Amino acid sequence: MVTIDLGAVPVRDANEQIRKHGKAGENVEIVNPDARHHIGVGLTAPIDVHIRGSAGYFCAGLTDQATFTIDNNVGWGLGDNIYSGTVIVGGNAGAIPAVGIRGANIIIKGNMGSRAGQVMKAGTLLCAGNANFMAGYMLYGGRIIILGDSGERVGEDMTGGEIFVGGRVQDLGSDAELTDMSSQEDESIREFLDRFEIPFNGSFQKIVNAGKKLRYGSPERQMRSLPFFTFSGGSSYWNAKVQEDIHIKSQSGRYRIRGYGTARALPHLSDLAFARDLSRSVGTADVISKVQMYTEIGGINGANPLKLSMPVMVAPMSYGALSRSTKHAIGLASAMSDIAENTGEGGMSDAQRNAAKQLIFQCLGGRLGWNIHDMKRADGLEIYISQGAKPGLGGQLMAKKVTQELADIRGIPAGIDLRSPSRHPDILGADDLVIKIEEFREATGYRLPVSVKLGAGRVRDDIKIAVKDGFDFIELDGMQGSTGAGSSEVIDFVGIPTLAAIIEAEEALAEIGRRQDIQIVLMGGMRDGVDAVKGLCLGADAVAFGTSVIIAGGCIACMQCHVGQCVTGIATQDPAHEKRYQPEVEAQNIHRFFESVRWQIAALTHALGYDDVRKLSRNDLVALTPEAAAITGLPYEPAPRKRSAEALAG
Amino acid sequence: MAVYDINRILPPKAPGEYIDHALDAHYVPAPCQVACPVGTDAPSYIAYIWEQKFNEAFEAITATNPFSSICGRVCDAPCEPACRRADSDGPIQIRNLKRFVMDKLGASWKPESNPVTRDQSIAIVGAGPAGLVAAHDLCVAGFKVDVYEMSDRPGGMMVWGIPAFRLPVGIIDQDIDRLHAKCPGLDIHLNTALGRDVDLATLKQRHDAVLLTIGSWWGKTMGIPGEQDERVVDGVGFLRRVNAGERPRLPHTVVVVGGGDVAMDACRVAKRLPGCEHVIVVYRRGPEEIPARAIELQGAVDEGIEFLYNTQQVAVEVHDQGLKLKCVSTDLGEPDEDGRRRPVPLAGSEHYIQCGMVIAAVGQQGECAELDQLGLMTKDRVQTDWESMRTADPKVFAAGDGAFGGSTIVMAMHHGQRAAYYIKHFLEGRDDPLPYRTPYRTRRVPVAQDLQWELLPEQHPKFHGLGDNPVEFPEIEETYDHEAAMKEAARCYRCDAETGSADYSVKQREHIFSMARTNPMDSAKNNAMLSRLLEIRENPVPENKPASLDDIVFLPANLSRLVIDPYREACKIGTEIGSRLSLSHPFIVTGFDQAPREVRQAVAKALMQADCPYLGKHPLADESRRWWQLIGSADQPSAGAEAVLYPRTDADSMVRLKDDQSVGLYVSSTSELESTIEFGLEHHFDLLLLDGSGDIASPWPELCGAPDFSLLRDAITILRRLGQEEEINLVWFGGLRSGTDAAKILGLGTVAVVQGAAIGMAAGGEIHDQGLAFSSNFNEEDRTTAVVNLIRANSGEASMMARCTGKTALHNIEPEDLRAISLVTSRQTGIPLVGTHARS
Repeated sequence: MVTIDLGAVPVRDANEQIRKHGKAGENVEIVNPDARHHIGVGLTAPIDVHIRGSAGYFCAGLTDQATFTIDNNVGWGLGDNIYSGTVIVGGNAGAIPAVGIRGANIIIKGNMGSRAGQVMKAGTLLCAGNANFMAGYMLYGGRIIILGDSGERVGEDMTGGEIFVGGRVQDLGSDAELTDMSSQEDESIREFLDRFEIPFNGSFQKIVNAGKKLRYGSPERQMRSLPFFTFSGGSSYWNAKVQEDIHIKSQSGRYRIRGYGTARALPHLSDLAFARDLSRSVGTADVISKVQMYTEIGGINGANPLKLSMPVMVAPMSYGALSRSTKHAIGLASAMSDIAENTGEGGMSDAQRNAAKQLIFQCLGGRLGWNIHDMKRADGLEIYISQGAKPGLGGQLMAKKVTQELADIRGIPAGIDLRSPSRHPDILGADDLVIKIEEFREATGYRLPVSVKLGAGRVRDDIKIAVKDGFDFIELDGMQGSTGAGSSEVIDFVGIPTLAAIIEAEEALAEIGRRQDIQIVLMGGMRDGVDAVKGLCLGADAVAFGTSVIIAGGCIACMQCHVGQCVTGIATQDPAHEKRYQPEVEAQNIHRFFESVRWQIAALTHALGYDDVRKLSRNDLVALTPEAAAITGLPYEPAPRKRSAEALAG
Repeated sequence: MAVYDINRILPPKAPGEYIDHALDAHYVPAPCQVACPVGTDAPSYIAYIWEQKFNEAFEAITATNPFSSICGRVCDAPCEPACRRADSDGPIQIRNLKRFVMDKLGASWKPESNPVTRDQSIAIVGAGPAGLVAAHDLCVAGFKVDVYEMSDRPGGMMVWGIPAFRLPVGIIDQDIDRLHAKCPGLDIHLNTALGRDVDLATLKQRHDAVLLTIGSWWGKTMGIPGEQDERVVDGVGFLRRVNAGERPRLPHTVVVVGGGDVAMDACRVAKRLPGCEHVIVVYRRGPEEIPARAIELQGAVDEGIEFLYNTQQVAVEVHDQGLKLKCVSTDLGEPDEDGRRRPVPLAGSEHYIQCGMVIAAVGQQGECAELDQLGLMTKDRVQTDWESMRTADPKVFAAGDGAFGGSTIVMAMHHGQRAAYYIKHFLEGRDDPLPYRTPYRTRRVPVAQDLQWELLPEQHPKFHGLGDNPVEFPEIEETYDHEAAMKEAARCYRCDAETGSADYSVKQREHIFSMARTNPMDSAKNNAMLSRLLEIRENPVPENKPASLDDIVFLPANLSRLVIDPYREACKIGTEIGSRLSLSHPFIVTGFDQAPREVRQAVAKALMQADCPYLGKHPLADESRRWWQLIGSADQPSAGAEAVLYPRTDADSMVRLKDDQSVGLYVSSTSELESTIEFGLEHHFDLLLLDGSGDIASPWPELCGAPDFSLLRDAITILRRLGQEEEINLVWFGGLRSGTDAAKILGLGTVAVVQGAAIGMAAGGEIHDQGLAFSSNFNEEDRTTAVVNLIRANSGEASMMARCTGKTALHNIEPEDLRAISLVTSRQTGIPLVGTHARS
C-alpha cells in the first residue's frame, strides 16, 4: 500500500503515480483528498484505491478493473464511464453518479443526486439512501437499485435496463412503467446486498421501459428525393417539393427525416473568387513539392499534435451512419494520404483503429461507444456539442441500422430508433466543460489534443467560450454539413452557412485578441481543393471533408441514408448490402480524391504566388455576390460572374 | 470508349447542329451514355420505361440509333460494364430494357419521313452498320444517298455474322423497314459489288462524295501448317453459310479457335447443327482475358460447350478420317502492344485434340482489289484518317471495320455517324469543322419513385439455350415481361440527374468522382479539373429573387445558449390570444368556405380532433365548435363564433355578442396598417390578423405566390413605436407551408398563424388554375386523417425549431433567434444577414 498525500501532490501528478502503481499492482491510499476533482481517472489496473475523505467531480471516472473506496462523500459524475470494477462510497454522491458506465458495481451508502445512471449501459448502481429526481434518465442497460425513495420522474426516457426501488416510487418518468419482478431478480439483488454487507429487509418495485417511444409510429413513405433548387420566389412558392412535404407529412403526422446536407443553395465558398485571375494558371506535376503544406493541429497547449501532410482531415462520420467497410476504406485512405480520420459518434472498432494512422475519437452526450481503452489508443479526443447539419439535435439512427453488433459497440439495445441525446449529462454550461476537458486530459496524461465540434449558430459567442474553456482546436461545422439522418427542416433551416461561420469565428477571436489560442478546422460542404484554399484564406488552420469522401468512395447522393438499405453499401448495416462495398477498391478512390485535393491546394497556393499554405490570406479573395460581400466584408467583384454568365450564354 | 478520360472532366464543344446538354448545370452524361459509342440517352429511356411512357422511351432509344431492334438483342452493350451499379449488385440490364421497348413498339412504329432537300448525293459502299448509319444521318440532313451492297441483303455483319438464335430475321427487317420509312432518299442497290458491278470512278462521277464501308468481311488464317485442309474453315465464312440458310452436317467433334464474339457465335452454331455432339473452344489466354462478352460466353457454357483456356494451336494434322489439332499450353507473359498479356508457349506441353473440323475465328480483314489497285488500301483495310474520316482521295471517305479493323456493331455505327458529320461539312464546303464528338442529350425524366429500388436484384429474362429443336435456331432467351422490365428500370441510379442535394449537385459529384479516378501525376487531367472547379456558379440569390421565409434560418443553441434535448424535453406550444382564447397550439385553419361539402365535413372533423379553430365566413359544419367568423362587408356577426374578425369600418357595428367572444380586426394593406392598429388599440380588440396574401376572403389567395412580409415588419415597428406591443396579439395569414414557416412567423412577433392552402393540399386539393381542385381519390376518412396529421406534423416541426434554438416554449422564439441568408429578406424582415450582426 502506497500513500499519496493530496495536500502535497497535485492531482495531475497523483494520477500519474496511481497509474504507475496500478501497473506495478500496488494498492494506493489517498490522504487529504480535500474533495479534489478527477481523483484516479484513467486507471486501468486491478488495484485498490482508498480515499480517506471526500472526493470531487468524476472520482474513479474513465477507469477499468480498479476498486475505489471513498470514506465520505463524492461530487458529481462518480465513476463516469467506468468499464468494470467497484466503487464504494461511504457517504452521499452528487448528481449523475454512474453516468454512462459500461459495467462495474457502484455502491453509494448514503443518498445520491439527480439523474443517477444517466445513459448507463451495463453494471449495477446501488444507492442505500434516497435518489434525487430522474434516476435512470435515458438508461440504456444495467440495473439501478434504490433502497430508499425513487425521486421524481424515475426512469425518464429509459430505453433498457431495470430500476428497482425499495422505498417509495414517487412518480414515473416518461415512457417508464412498473412491472412484475421475478424471484431470481430478487435473489440476485439480495445476493448483491449481502456481498457488500448492506442490510435491507424491504421489498422492491421494478421499473422498466414502457416501449412507447422506442420506435417512430407510422413510417414515413420512402421516396427518392425530389430535386428542386429554386426554393422560393414567384410561381415556385408552392413547388413540387413543398407539395411533396405536405403530402408525406399528412400521411405520417410527423416531421420528415432524411440523410445528407442542405437541399437548397446557400451563400457558400463558391460565391468567392480569387482576387488574381487564375484561369490561365497551369499547375505542373511537381507543384506539390513547391508548396509547404504540412500542418500540425492540436499542439498549441502542449499535447501531441495531429501531424497532417496537408491542412486536411476527414470529418467525423460514425460507424452506424456508415457501414463498417466504408469506415474501413476511409481509414485506409486517410493513412495513405497521411491525414487524420475521425470516429464520429459510433465508437471505435479495431479495424478502424488499425486502418487509420491518426484517429480522433468523438465523445457525445449518449457516450455511445465511449470508453477509456479507446481514448488511450486515440490520437485526439473530440467533444461533440453539435453538428452543422442538425445543430441542437442529437444523432438519429433508424432501427434498421441498429444491429446487434452496432448496439454492442455503442452499449445500447438493438433495434430501437436511436435518437441520441443532444446534451451531455455532465456539460450543462461552459464551466462544466472546463472540468470535462480536464478529466479527459487527466485520463490520458495530457497527451492528446482535445477539440470541440460545433455546429455553426451563434459562432461569435460560442467560439469565445470554446477558447476560454481551453480547447486545443475547434471543428467548426457550417450548415452545409451532412448527416446520416435528421429532420429535413432542421437540415435546411437551422444553423448558419459555413462561409458566415468562419467569418464570425475569426472576427470574434480578433475582438478578444485570442486568435493564437485556438486552431480552427472548418467543415460543412467542403468539396475540393478550391473550397479548401478559400477556407484557409478566410483563416481556417485546416479543413475537413465528409460527404465528398463518401462520394469519392461511391456514394450516389440519393439522400436515403436514413433508410438503412443503401444501394452502394455505404450507409447501411445490412450485411447483404454492405457486401456490395469493396473497401480496398474504394480506399484507393478516396485516396486519389485526397491526392487531387492536395494537388489543387498546391497549384492554387503556387499560382497565388506563395510557397506555403500559411501565407494564404483573405486578401487573396473577392466576393462574387452581394450576399457574400456583406457576409465576408470582402470587396464585391461582380465582373467574373457576369463574364461567366456571358460565356455560358454565348 | 474510356468513360473517365479528360473529356469527361472538360467536354470538348459539341458541334452546333446536334442537341447536346453536356454543359447544362443540372445534368451530367451518365457513364452508360458515355460508354455508348452512339451516346444513347439510356437513363432517360430507362426512366420512361418505369413511367410506362413507352413511346417516349422508344424515341430516346432510336434517336441516335437506327438499329435499335438489332441492338436490343445483340449489342455488345459497353454501357453495362460502365454502369455504376455494376460495382454494387450488378449493372442495369440496359440492353434487355431496350429490347423490351423495341419488341413492344418496333414492328408498328411509324417514323417521321425526312424528305430529300438538297441537290447533292452520296454513294456508300457496303450496307453494314457503319454504312447504313451514315446513310441515315445524311438522309436526315436532306441528302440523297445510294448504298451499293455486294450481297443480296442489307445489314452487313448484322445479318451475315450473327446467327438467328440470337437475332431472328424479323427483327432485322424491323430496323431496315423503319430506316426506309424514315429516309425516302435512301436507295440500297443489292448484289452490286465494288470492282465487279461498279467502279469507284463511276461512283465519284455519279455522286458528290463516296463513303467506303466495305467491312471486315474475310476471316484471317491461323498461319499454321495444315490449315489448308478443307475441313479447316474460317469463322465468318462459316457463319455466312449458315446465315444464308445452309444447315451443313458436321462431324461429331468441332474445334473453334479464338475467344471473340465470332468464336462464340461459331461454337454455338456448330453445337446446333446436325451431327455435331461436342464443341471445344481453344483460346490462347485465360478466362480473365477472353474478349467475348460475358453473357455470350455464359450462354455458350450453359449450352454445354467446352472451353480450353491457355491453349494455342500450332498445327493441323490428318488423323484417321478426321483431324487432330496440335496445341501447346501457354502461360501469360508481359503485356504486348495492345496492353494484353502475351501468351507464352510452355516447353514440352504439346498435345493433340482430335476432331472432325476446325473453325478458325482468329480475326477478320477487309479486301477489295479495286481499292487496292487505286492505292487506297493498307494491308487489310482502307487507309483512313480518324480525324476527318477521309482517304487519300479527297472525295472519298471511309468508316467501319473496313477502315479501322474489326470492332462491334455499335462502334461501327459510331464510325458511320462520324463519317456522315465530316461528309456533310465537306459537301457544305466547310473545311474546318469542330472535331466530331458524340452529342449527349438528356430528356430530363424524373427519377423513378420505386420503393424497392435499392433492393431489387438484376432481372434475368428466361433463358432457353438450345431449345427443343436446335437446328431451327429458336431464340435463346425471352424478352422481359412487364413486371421484370419495371423492376429492372427501377434499379437505375440515375447518375445523370440531380438528387436534391444542393452542394453535391450532379456536376459537383461528378467532379469528386473524377478526382477519385485521376492519377495524382496526371497534370493534364488535374489542370482540366481545376479549371472546372474554378468556374463560377449561378448566384443562389439572383437579383430578382423576392424576400422569402426560405431565406431565414434559426440560430441553434450550443455553448453560449444551453442545449436542450429536443427529442425528449417538452416544448410548450399552448397559445393564449387576448384574455378569452386559449388554444392547444398556435394553428388556425381557413379557406374551405367554397370547398365541396364532403371536404368541409372531413376537415371539420379533423379540426375537432386537432382542437383547431376554423376561420371563415361560415362554420365548416353545423357541429363545429371552434369557429372564427370572418366578416365581409355585408355580414352580420354571429353569436356562435368563438371570435369575430372585422375589416376596419365604424366602431359601432363591430360588436362582441357575448362575454367570451373575442373580437379582432384584419388588414391586408400596408397603407391601412397604422390606422387599423391605432383603431384596434383604441377599441381594445383582442387580435389583429395580418393578411399577407392580399385577400383572405378570396379562394386560396396564397397560391398567387410568396406573401408580403413587410406587413408584419411594419406592424411590429408601429406597435413598438407606440410602446404597445403587448396590447394586441398579432395573427398571421399567408404563405405558410410548414411548421418551420410557422415558427419563423411566430419568432418574428406573432402569436398564432392561419394556414389555408397547405391544409387544402393535405385534404386532397390539387393546384389547378391558382385554386385547389379536390381529388376524388380521397374518401372522407382519408381527408380527416391527413389534415389531423399535417396539423400535428406542423406543430411538431415548429416546436422542433424552438427546441433547436434552446427554447422550451414555441412562443419564446424571438427575432434574435433568426438570421437572414439573403439581403432582400434581411431588408424586408429586419432580421440581420448571417455573419454580419456585430458589424452592422
